[in-house]
Amino acid sequence: MDIIVENLVQVWDDGGAGVRALDGITHHFRSGTLTCLLGPSGCGKSTLAQIVGGIETATSGTIRIVDPKNPSAPPARPGQCSVMMWQSLNLFPWRNVIDNVTFGLEMAGVPKPERYARARELLASVGLRNFEEKACSQLSGGMRQRVALARALIMDRPILLMDEPFAALDAQTKIVMQEELTRIFERMRKTILFVTHAIDEAILLGDEVVVMTARPGRIKEVIRIDLPRPRTQEMVGTHEFGELYDRILHLIREEVLNAMRQQDEALA
Amino acid sequence: MTASGKARSGRPARKRRDPLWLRVLPSLSVVLFIALWELAVKAGDVAPIILPAPSSIARYLVAMILDGSLPYNLAVTFVRIMAGFLVAGVLGVLVGVLMGMSKVLARVIDPWIAALYPLPKISLIPLLIIWLGTGEAYILTISAITAFFPVVISTYAGIRQTSQELVKAARDLGASTRQIQTNVVIPAAIPSIFAGLHLGMGVTIILVVAAEMIGGSNQSGMGYLLIRFGQVMETEKVFASLVALAVFGGVIMKGQQAIDRWVAPWAVGKS
Repeated sequence: MDIIVENLVQVWDDGGAGVRALDGITHHFRSGTLTCLLGPSGCGKSTLAQIVGGIETATSGTIRIVDPKNPSAPPARPGQCSVMMWQSLNLFPWRNVIDNVTFGLEMAGVPKPERYARARELLASVGLRNFEEKACSQLSGGMRQRVALARALIMDRPILLMDEPFAALDAQTKIVMQEELTRIFERMRKTILFVTHAIDEAILLGDEVVVMTARPGRIKEVIRIDLPRPRTQEMVGTHEFGELYDRILHLIREEVLNAMRQQDEALA
Repeated sequence: MTASGKARSGRPARKRRDPLWLRVLPSLSVVLFIALWELAVKAGDVAPIILPAPSSIARYLVAMILDGSLPYNLAVTFVRIMAGFLVAGVLGVLVGVLMGMSKVLARVIDPWIAALYPLPKISLIPLLIIWLGTGEAYILTISAITAFFPVVISTYAGIRQTSQELVKAARDLGASTRQIQTNVVIPAAIPSIFAGLHLGMGVTIILVVAAEMIGGSNQSGMGYLLIRFGQVMETEKVFASLVALAVFGGVIMKGQQAIDRWVAPWAVGKS
């Protein structure tokens, strides 16, 4: 699904003039590509993903979600054809692994044998065979990530929104999860918006990196990542990767300094 | 090198298990206390009417178990506690959940709770006796009213404190508002509902025994037993009843914890 965002503005109510979180975001997220939203903390990148997912409503601006193969069809409502994988995962602690994964199907009235069969298959594909009946609290951080990923994938929606899902993982687990996501993406070719503040992660995963400014969030620059697929962790050491890294680092450094200055002013 | 390695590997093991003397210390302190009590009473030649020796309390305890008076009255008190707790628990959870679901209802009920909660429920006893007499209806009412408040307050608080993130996640996965209420909001409130039910159980035990002491036209129950033995200064029997009541209360609390663990293992130790 193509996601066409035009002039998106988000203002948070703070009792006064309001806090401008997003300011005139215009971008065309192409169907079947993985776009990384990269920016300093508080730049509104998560908010942008949530607006695309219909979880938040923008103050103004438009989002159109259209099928490029069928452009005459009426555009979908935000939320209808996307699913979010949350930074805090938001697994339901009172449900075991398989009942977390099948939550969406259960709400949609899919009968139990069918939703369990689909979940088993999906859990096996993310390396969680035989963990169906476990409580989520018994799992490691990486395993909980896989449960959250499976819970999103089972919805079979064309757009996957990922809000810094790997930020809390240790370095080794993060690498494994990045590889896992790369494999899934290269197989399923969904449209993915991946929010991150890690430059190397953005380059490794993305077809495109959208660099955002400090608050108010605007698009500073869009960088195409032409590294070949399938992507592997070894690419991190290549000359091409290094050049992209330096270029993005240069862009982002300014914005991080801006964000820090804003925080200092807010505290003063 | 080797020494530090040993120390490191040894630490977790020690952490898991306290040394023997520390593990037996709690029981030892009880034994020691009882022994000192026994000695003091024997040595000081204290009148049993003031302070009976533990050994004679134990004899009375056994006698009261064998003649059936203790089991019977404990059973009666137990049934009354369960009745009061059940009424308070069901109504409290129900009203708490409804308040959590409906803003209008919450607005209406909130001032009533705010006004009535601080009132010591024991002060309602004279009124309830006028209205209901001193029979079972009065004991049930006073214990249920008292236990209702902690249950309803905890339930409502639990519902209101549901993580909005979880609600958003559920909505994103296609759940309707109704489905979110039953599948997210209520389960999320369970730890806090359990906490309310524990408080409710505690006050139910207190109020049932107190009501048996004050009204108790049925002349049964542990409260009645205690007050009767007290009036005729059968101090050994008073102590024996207290011991039975303490053990009984402990068993009820442990039982409730076991039920919590069985119903919702994920919620235990969370609130």
